[in-house]
Amino acid sequence: MYDFIEPALFAALTIATIASGAGVVLANRITTSALLMAFTFLNVAAMFLLLGAETVAMFQVLIYVGAITVLILYGVMFTPQSPRPYGLFFQTQKWWAAVFVVPIAIFVALVSFTFKDSATVAPRGGDLLPLATSVFRDFAFPFEVASVLLLAAMVGAIVLVKRDEE
Amino acid sequence: MAVPLGAFIAVSAVLFFIGTAGVLVRRNAVVILMSVELMLNATNLALVAFSRRYSSIDERGSVFVVFIFVVAAAEVAVGLAIVLSAYRNKPTVDVDEIKQMRG
Repeated sequence: MYDFIEPALFAALTIATIASGAGVVLANRITTSALLMAFTFLNVAAMFLLLGAETVAMFQVLIYVGAITVLILYGVMFTPQSPRPYGLFFQTQKWWAAVFVVPIAIFVALVSFTFKDSATVAPRGGDLLPLATSVFRDFAFPFEVASVLLLAAMVGAIVLVKRDEE
Repeated sequence: MAVPLGAFIAVSAVLFFIGTAGVLVRRNAVVILMSVELMLNATNLALVAFSRRYSSIDERGSVFVVFIFVVAAAEVAVGLAIVLSAYRNKPTVDVDEIKQMRG
């Protein structure tokens, strides 16, 4: 009876994701772009929930919607924003661009709908337990390397933006 | 009735192409970083969809998504630091204007 809820949610999320993603590229003011980017990330997080991956959805909200959006907004704040200069190359050759883009789009649509769900049903009960088991058993060493990468990126970012003291 | 896997992959492909178009068309370095984040997020969506729907074995795809989160955080931090230090050398964030190293 309630079978229509999931496809209806998916359709709404698809429209919101693609519209706000296009808004990031097309928006004239850069702050609008940044906030639309956060909205796109929220919609993708909802799609993760629809897929039953609630742990990944939580990480998505924490890291993308929280941290990365704030970081990008700081970047917007520290740099001057002029009105958007349009890219010149692509706007002058739009018919040629359409000739190449339409076959690629049809091809990608055909390929993406060839993937079918596997016959065996995925196990119920969320993704936290299999995710944690996989990370800490099979991927323990890459997990540690990732922490070193984060430390190196933090030190590098601080060194790059530090003012010279003379 | 569950949403088929192909629909998630199609949305992921569209989002990835939107990000690619942003990287190619926009000239503001911060917007280019945002578009790269959109592309990474589209990849995450495809990985999670395959991991949940295509294999019933384990959650390998979600593990890769967690690593992509880490790398994306590092990438945006270092990228913004580079944009800020380039802005300090020459007061612009237009990638067409930053061409001191062009041969």
